[in-house]
Amino acid sequence: MGNIITVENLIKRYDTYKRGSGFKDSVKSLFHREKVPVMAVNNISFSVKEGDIIGILGPNGAGKSTTIKMLTGTLYPTDGKIEVMGYNPTKDRKTYVHQIGAVFGQKSQLIWDIPPIDGFRMNKAIYGVSDQDYEERIKVMSKLFNVEEYITRPTRVLSLGERMKCEFIMAMLHQPKVVFLDEPTIGLDVIAKQKIREFILEMNKRGTTFILTTHDLEDVEQLARNVVIINHGEKVFDDSIHSLRKVLGAKKIVELTLHSPIDQLDMEGVSILERKNELSITVSVDLDIIAINDFISRLSALCDFTDISIKEMPMETIITHIYQSKKEK
Amino acid sequence: MKIKRYILIYRECVKVAFAAASTYRLNFILNCIIMLIGDILFPLITILIYGSGAGFEGWTVYEVLLIQSVFTMSMAIADMTFHGILWATMGHVRQGDLEMVLILPVDTMFLLMARTFSIDAVGLFIGGLTIFIVALSHIALPTGFMWLQFIVLFLIGLSVMMGIALLMAATSFKWVGNSRIPEIFDSIRSFGKYPQSIFPKAVLMITTLVIPVAMIGYFPATALLGQGDIKMMLILIPCIVFLILGITLYRHMVRLYQGVGG
Amino acid sequence: MKYIRHKIEVMKAVALVTYKEWSAYRTHSMVSIFVGPVYFIVQYFIWTAAYGNRTELNGMELSQMITYFGASTLIGYLTMDFADWNLQMLIRTGRFLTFALRPIHHRFFAFSQKVGHRVLGLIFEFIPCYFIFTLLFRIHMVPKHFGWTLLSVALAFLMNFYVHYILGMTAFWFTQSSGIRRVFDLLSGVFSGVFIPLVFFPMGLQKALFFLPFPYMSYVPVMVFTGEFSLAGIQMEIPTIVGLQGIAVAFTILLSEVIYKASIKHFNGVGA
Repeated sequence: MGNIITVENLIKRYDTYKRGSGFKDSVKSLFHREKVPVMAVNNISFSVKEGDIIGILGPNGAGKSTTIKMLTGTLYPTDGKIEVMGYNPTKDRKTYVHQIGAVFGQKSQLIWDIPPIDGFRMNKAIYGVSDQDYEERIKVMSKLFNVEEYITRPTRVLSLGERMKCEFIMAMLHQPKVVFLDEPTIGLDVIAKQKIREFILEMNKRGTTFILTTHDLEDVEQLARNVVIINHGEKVFDDSIHSLRKVLGAKKIVELTLHSPIDQLDMEGVSILERKNELSITVSVDLDIIAINDFISRLSALCDFTDISIKEMPMETIITHIYQSKKEK
Repeated sequence: MKIKRYILIYRECVKVAFAAASTYRLNFILNCIIMLIGDILFPLITILIYGSGAGFEGWTVYEVLLIQSVFTMSMAIADMTFHGILWATMGHVRQGDLEMVLILPVDTMFLLMARTFSIDAVGLFIGGLTIFIVALSHIALPTGFMWLQFIVLFLIGLSVMMGIALLMAATSFKWVGNSRIPEIFDSIRSFGKYPQSIFPKAVLMITTLVIPVAMIGYFPATALLGQGDIKMMLILIPCIVFLILGITLYRHMVRLYQGVGG
Repeated sequence: MKYIRHKIEVMKAVALVTYKEWSAYRTHSMVSIFVGPVYFIVQYFIWTAAYGNRTELNGMELSQMITYFGASTLIGYLTMDFADWNLQMLIRTGRFLTFALRPIHHRFFAFSQKVGHRVLGLIFEFIPCYFIFTLLFRIHMVPKHFGWTLLSVALAFLMNFYVHYILGMTAFWFTQSSGIRRVFDLLSGVFSGVFIPLVFFPMGLQKALFFLPFPYMSYVPVMVFTGEFSLAGIQMEIPTIVGLQGIAVAFTILLSEVIYKASIKHFNGVGA
């Protein structure tokens, strides 16, 4: 299938102004301000195939949201070219937004005091969805999400997870070909996250292309086929999820609280990343070399620990890994 | 040494209010200015009426302004010291976290008033005081005895204000989150802003005996005009009764809230 | 034709949702049933006393004055607006973005919201107060020229909306726009004629008011209701002043369009 999105040499530059802290400086800045250009997005190119799920990954402030806003046509690029389904999002905004959907984690479309279903009806009118399509889509999607009984209750009494599911329904009522998701699972519990990921996969099977930004590696691992990683506004990685796995290896981060201090952990595939103090250490475990339960049973033989938590690799570590693998090449 | 402790608490709260105002300096100054201007607008109607050649029979424009300036000063002091209890109560009841105040070893009503001490209304007071001085300079100089009468009546007027504030706050227990409650009482209070002679007897009964809003501006001002007489002192009784009513009702609602448990 | 039908559908849907949304707070609206008449009573006694034995003040008779305050209260319920608050809230919280992502002009959305909200005002404020004024207070509350009054109220509805929308757009440019809005509220309170008919102001000010948005928001429709219009010593035929109001509204719409274009450009360029 062809490319549904092409982004070429995308640049977004802001001018911010230096501001002093004291009263004197703030008076001075009324008259003269020093311009400081900030490159939020610096020369990024990538493309998305129709029917794909692509993850845009990066630490906070990397330029993910800026990129996705430019893709949706709500932010003008300083330079570069964006084409989505043959549209230029900036120029063809009105016709373009008919074709896309968007869920922005922290920005709700639902209306607080009334049930989601009323908000759905409003969007039905805004997008001009026919009665028949509307009924059917509500049925299908609320079933997928198991929210049939929630959508008639006032939004304010719903849990964050239930609300998020309703956001998805609201954003997809007009059956957009492309859906943009900005941090769609932020702040949700594990079960709600899972439900939302299942929904995304199911809708993808039915033909919707998804572009999602996240700083949660798990989102990407479970959903995306292709990954773009952005750091400081620049693209540092753009390949399939398989290649990303190759670069990163299958590593988990384990935080340990020890009963008594130890010097080192003598296990293959395990290395100490950080010692916060004598009793709390962070180690990385390479799952290609040692399985996680082997690690734990050997660990309990090696030392006494009072607490353990297993985590995904944090964004910063991922970025470091990517830079390292680039150097090695 | 309960009183001493309460004074200490109050002092801390005032300090916090000053600190907050100085953090948001610009906002504070703007608020003051807007209040000051808004305040000049309220006697504007009176000035425009007199300016058009009409007026209230038996009252000069400065006499009417005197009533309104006293009213404004009373309002400003109330805003600074105890009006905050309404918003505080309303907020806590809506959020369901009044418990956080109830568990503290201090009288709830006192604490809510102290914590909402606000200096924003200082602009309102300055505006009121300015009009007060202007009005005073156009009437016969009051004697010391008149001033004494004025101060007593003004304080009693403040107790009516407090009674109203507590009634409003008590209402907000039942009428959760209705930000228009103050409008109800504002509208009733507006009867107190004018010479009472313009109202018919039935209205006067209400403004002096039932909800004695006439005590806020009108009666203290007439004392300064030398029209005070002993009968006026009798109206102290409904005023005090009104305040007690407010306190009782508020405490009752707090107890009710505790019973329900939010 | 299809385009217009779609627009009407959207307006209906948004108005209905807004109506439902605010129905939960209808007791808030119903506060007006008490407050409106109480303020009216105060005004009634003030003006009855102020007229004394005089038959007219600044060209207005006492009965016209009483009608003026009654109409001012009632028309206020139909045209009241807080689009500025809504818009600045959306901008501050970043939720304005969800409108940029939908195929709808936010101003049209906001206007539809106002329609829904004012239907609520009609039912829970206007109608009860109308009956209190006419049946209880026995005030003659029938406009002299029904058609012109209706048109003038509709224009005031638009005027209030567009002016407040412009005010809300300041939030695109300033992080703290509450000061500007409060100053405006203060000015519009005085100069729209809610407190006192504008003929009571000094002559120079009255003349200037023709060129400001305030009179067209309340004073004009209220005077049209009473059947006679004058300002700055100029007596105007009802159709003339309503026409003038129409021009003022058209100008405001144009201005709001210009500011909207610039604001959106600013918003899309900076990205909030």
